[in-house]
Amino acid sequence: MCPQRVLFSPITRLSGLLSAQVILDGGRVAEAYVSSPLFRGFESIMGDRAVTDAVYLTQRVCGICSLAHGATASYLLDELYDNEIPENAQYLRNIMYGADFLQNHIRHFYLFSLPDFVQMPDRPPFLRQNLLDARFDGATNERLAAHYGEAIRAAQKSHQILALFGGKAPHQHSFVHGGVSVAPTADKVAQAGALLQEIEAFIRTRLLPDTDLIARAYGDYFYIGRTPLRLLSFGLFRFGPKNERFLWKGGVLTEGGVTTEPQVRLIREEAAHSWFSPVDGALAPDPDKPGGYSFVKTVRYGGEPCEVGPLARMRINGFYDGGTSTMDRICARSLETALIAGLMREWLGRLVPGEPPIAQKKTPVKGQVTAVTDAMRGALLHSATVEAERVVRYDIITPTVWNFSPKDRSGRRGPVESALVGTEIPRPEWTFTMLGRIIRAYDPCLACGTHIIDLKKDASPSRLFEYPLQ
Amino acid sequence: MRREDFERLCRNWPFGRGHALAGAVLPLVRSHQAGRGGGKLPVIWIETCDSGDNNISFLNTAAPYVDQVFSGMIDLIYSNTFMAAQGADALALLQDALVRAGQGRRRYTLVVEGAIPLGGRGRYAVIAWTPSGPLTAYDAVRWLGKEAEYVVALGTCAAFGGPSAARPNPTESVGVGDVLDRTVINVSGCPVNPDWFVGTLAHLLLYGMPELDERGRPVLFYGSTVHRHCQRRSYFDQKVFAKRLGDRECMFSLGCAGPKTYADCPYRLWVDHVSWPVKANTPCIGCTNPDFPDGSTPFFAPLPEKAGQQGKAGQP
Repeated sequence: MCPQRVLFSPITRLSGLLSAQVILDGGRVAEAYVSSPLFRGFESIMGDRAVTDAVYLTQRVCGICSLAHGATASYLLDELYDNEIPENAQYLRNIMYGADFLQNHIRHFYLFSLPDFVQMPDRPPFLRQNLLDARFDGATNERLAAHYGEAIRAAQKSHQILALFGGKAPHQHSFVHGGVSVAPTADKVAQAGALLQEIEAFIRTRLLPDTDLIARAYGDYFYIGRTPLRLLSFGLFRFGPKNERFLWKGGVLTEGGVTTEPQVRLIREEAAHSWFSPVDGALAPDPDKPGGYSFVKTVRYGGEPCEVGPLARMRINGFYDGGTSTMDRICARSLETALIAGLMREWLGRLVPGEPPIAQKKTPVKGQVTAVTDAMRGALLHSATVEAERVVRYDIITPTVWNFSPKDRSGRRGPVESALVGTEIPRPEWTFTMLGRIIRAYDPCLACGTHIIDLKKDASPSRLFEYPLQ
Repeated sequence: MRREDFERLCRNWPFGRGHALAGAVLPLVRSHQAGRGGGKLPVIWIETCDSGDNNISFLNTAAPYVDQVFSGMIDLIYSNTFMAAQGADALALLQDALVRAGQGRRRYTLVVEGAIPLGGRGRYAVIAWTPSGPLTAYDAVRWLGKEAEYVVALGTCAAFGGPSAARPNPTESVGVGDVLDRTVINVSGCPVNPDWFVGTLAHLLLYGMPELDERGRPVLFYGSTVHRHCQRRSYFDQKVFAKRLGDRECMFSLGCAGPKTYADCPYRLWVDHVSWPVKANTPCIGCTNPDFPDGSTPFFAPLPEKAGQQGKAGQP
């Protein structure tokens, strides 16, 4: 049988826009091209603005993980201004960060991933679900589908905790450089504790058992979507007056074991198959570029593609010891949700009522700063060059750029393409269902995926395709 | 219930006990549906160039929760975020809805989330690749906008360009109203407050088109400035200003855009009515405004010192 090119578009139940083309050969995925058809150019928007605008403006890069961008911009500004973060602020920041994680993970599992495995009611927005590989008996299926509504409430409560301390969500206001502008008072701590109790009950009685049910019924997915072991995390939950300590360590995990924290100097980006071309010595979007197929660029660590996300964090920290399959990604995310809820409970208990824990210094001590942490989907980097408190350039490398990298110049696949290739599709009509499961396990967010390398400034052609960050 | 009474209810519900929209609106919707044979509002929701924050904020609606909105208020036929269908099945739903509407059988409400990029011949936001080529956000909105009963621009990107069109506007993005020659209901905000959106949907379902301000926004949510209802207005009137974030006085000194921002945040609040930016001891950044974010930056500079803001205070 001749190889057959299949268009998978739109890929739904995710943040942003995503399409893919796969080559099927004899019932096997022989090649995959995963494409983000969305370009926003956020870094050029950041140019020539007050650097303190970054906390609120970069949150607009992504609606589902907005706090992670605001947090990373805050860490960056803390270093730029040499702030000392009060202890209460450290706990408050991480409570808010944790709340956004719970929101994200619960919504991903139930709203986006669940309809990959469970037959939803035959009414909008579930029409034409076309789940040909449904495996649960009627009663189990009905129970799982009913948890969709409960998950909506649990995730909403997570954002309520965030808004309680952060003013609103998405795009919180209080987690800024220097600390947190909201006081931890008894009423707020008690309200957050009560909300967290309900979320913890949901995680214990719904998320974890439901993950277990799906993992058992779809156990073959522990062998589907597997990738070579190359996982990367920058670390998560920064503590200390200088944000110097990660509670969950960063690292790079390969067959050889875990290395220490990733070195920013080993990160390089290129645009061999991305829709960008040099124009007047700068890199500009070019959707007609021959060989291009995505607005996501390719990022490599020490020349190697790396997967980022909950699975990377959980394995690097020794919290999970499975493999690198589709079902491992789903399980790691659910287990991480439970761990984070427990940490939030502990941090709430450590708050000491008092004034808003914030002290913003006024004079920059540096001109170039880079801040890293993990976001919900994995490693996130912000880097800024600043003159007289104005942004000269601002770079962001999001988790999506790691996972959804198109092929590099030597044709090597990024993690998602690598997970797709080799998949055996036993029945042709299962194609979208199977590919959708593999892709969605990465919790795709393409609003985040689309950034540029320095549209205007100091870009010589030799730097364009291999741009060192530091 | 009469339309006037409904509008009074929408304006006043945050003042009442319980704060819940559901208790007040859902029974109304049910009785209305009983009278109209159980019809819900058919909705096609297109995501274009934005961060997806508006669908996340929509998920924060509390009473009605989103599953109640799906089961009781709208038939969400197409939504990249929420639909179970994928690939060609998803596009078939879009096609079916368009055919039905074209035959006058069931006209839908088009919700657009995000700005429309005009740069790159529209290729900066492609809704889907079809065998005949890319379906760009521009083409999809033009195409679906023709047959829609109502068009709702959800969030500031869709309404006015928003952060997607912030200078230097690398994608040459514009708001939905700039590509459609018809009335567009602008439910702005970055993100939108879920009450503004769900309340607008309820109005469309129960009473049809709501009264709009000169920027196309429903007056019942955007009728007065943040400044007018701010809890800290007495500090402003006495010229007592905050010196740093975290202070409890008027935030005008720290960049508050409340005086020029039309929205009801001070009494509606966010995420089940727990807080809003000024309650969090930070300034309002004017996210519902047509000139957001460029008219609000630097965010922490007082209004007269913001870029391009001279003489604009007090205007919608």
